Amino acid sequence: MKMVWRFLDTGPLPAANNMALDKVILTSLGCGQASNTLRFLEFSPPCVLIGYHQAVELEVEEEYCRQHGIEINRRITGGGNLYLDEGQLGWEIFAHKETRGIPGNLEDMYRLMCEGVVTGLAKLGVEARFRPKNEIEVEGRKISGSGGTEMGNAFLYHGTLLTDFDVDTMIKCLKLPINKFDDQQIQTFRRRVICLREVLGYLPTIPVIKRSLAEGFAEAFKISLEPGDLMENEKLLWEKELPRFQSEEWIRGMRPKLQGSSLSVVDWKTRGGFIRVSVLLDQTRHRIKSAVITGDFLAYPEGSILDLEAAIKDSSSNPSDIMKTLRQFFAVNNMRIPGVEPEDFYHALCLAISKAGDSQGQAAV
Amino acid sequence: MAMGHRQVPEGLLYDRNNYWVKVAGREASIGLTAYGQHTIGDILYLELVSPGAIVRKGEGFGSIESSKWVGALIAPVTGVVLNTNREVEASPRQINMDPYGQGWILRIELSDIEELKLLMKANAYRQWVEEQINREHQEEGAI
Repeated sequence: MKMVWRFLDTGPLPAANNMALDKVILTSLGCGQASNTLRFLEFSPPCVLIGYHQAVELEVEEEYCRQHGIEINRRITGGGNLYLDEGQLGWEIFAHKETRGIPGNLEDMYRLMCEGVVTGLAKLGVEARFRPKNEIEVEGRKISGSGGTEMGNAFLYHGTLLTDFDVDTMIKCLKLPINKFDDQQIQTFRRRVICLREVLGYLPTIPVIKRSLAEGFAEAFKISLEPGDLMENEKLLWEKELPRFQSEEWIRGMRPKLQGSSLSVVDWKTRGGFIRVSVLLDQTRHRIKSAVITGDFLAYPEGSILDLEAAIKDSSSNPSDIMKTLRQFFAVNNMRIPGVEPEDFYHALCLAISKAGDSQGQAAV
Repeated sequence: MAMGHRQVPEGLLYDRNNYWVKVAGREASIGLTAYGQHTIGDILYLELVSPGAIVRKGEGFGSIESSKWVGALIAPVTGVVLNTNREVEASPRQINMDPYGQGWILRIELSDIEELKLLMKANAYRQWVEEQINREHQEEGAI
């Protein structure tokens, strides 16, 4: 007999309300009051969300957001900054850790969670795939990112699906690993994401998308979904938690002194063409926060450069670790670029990191 | 799994959330074990309570993030925080690299020495880790 999960569709809400509700449902589940839950969420007005441990100052173009009425808030989950408007649909899984069929290790769990979205997208005629660690891609381009957290014996894993996406506004709202005055980099970045409207040539209605995703999750998790509502205790807790999630103390809770963020862009010549490596570095913590790799080379299979970028994201910026990361990547990925060797990426990345060190304080974004 | 992840030094006390406790009089240093850091993976962020805070056994004393996942740090014993390791807050990867040395997390003044009796000695923890590893292998086979 299939396990029955609660299905919540809370509709468009301000960022603070949605973030508070995440905490409320997770608490309710952790206390044994709620049952496993699938929630769909939407955001209105548009907002920028940062990951739990991120600092607003380092991740968000605050002035632009202020001028355009874009809210800023912080998630209780991990991961990076993202822009959400009415063209995104959020999906969330709240479950007990020992739920039958849910893997204990994160990698397998992420894959299963994303499998729900992949199965749902297939029902819309979209062929998607999971890209480790936490993304779903279509035609080699990102359509959904995700992250999670836990509380006691319960966890929350959530992500967003790009349905009809305003890439230009996203680029203006977020601090990204690109030079925003470089049209070529912007064009390249634009090609890294894709939305349902672009894939299908039209946009299915939101109810149709929700139904497909819900069926996808039900199939992937082998569960039944029963439409439900918030319980009374959840509504009370939501009311109590909301002021905290609206407060500057919550939104700006992280200490940027322990983090850093600087952009570095370098070109590296190879036999097969030039590589342009653009990295966002956290020099305080010796991390490559994210990277965009472009150039006039040809990589096979198509999209493999995005896999390489995903492997580099959040990795150590120490040269010996970069070499290790690249070796691990090339050992399991059959990426071929005529005239470009793995060592070229190593040299380009090291050069970008060294350049950032030379100009620390000047290149801060 | 490499032997390094099974490293369990003698002379420390351990709990089932994979923390080690090194006692010196009424003070104790606390950190994640080699197995603990291995199960978490590459640690990206760490946020700790401030010195002076009271941490209670079984309750959170900070948060930790790896692979887009935020988890809670759960205190193995009760006490008052004397100081935190600012180095690992700035560079949490030190926990991965040297969990029993440079990767220590915080020092506390113990409130209840009796709580130490509830912790495991190295032999017992080593056996518990082996059980966890065996269980993981069985689960992998079942997926």
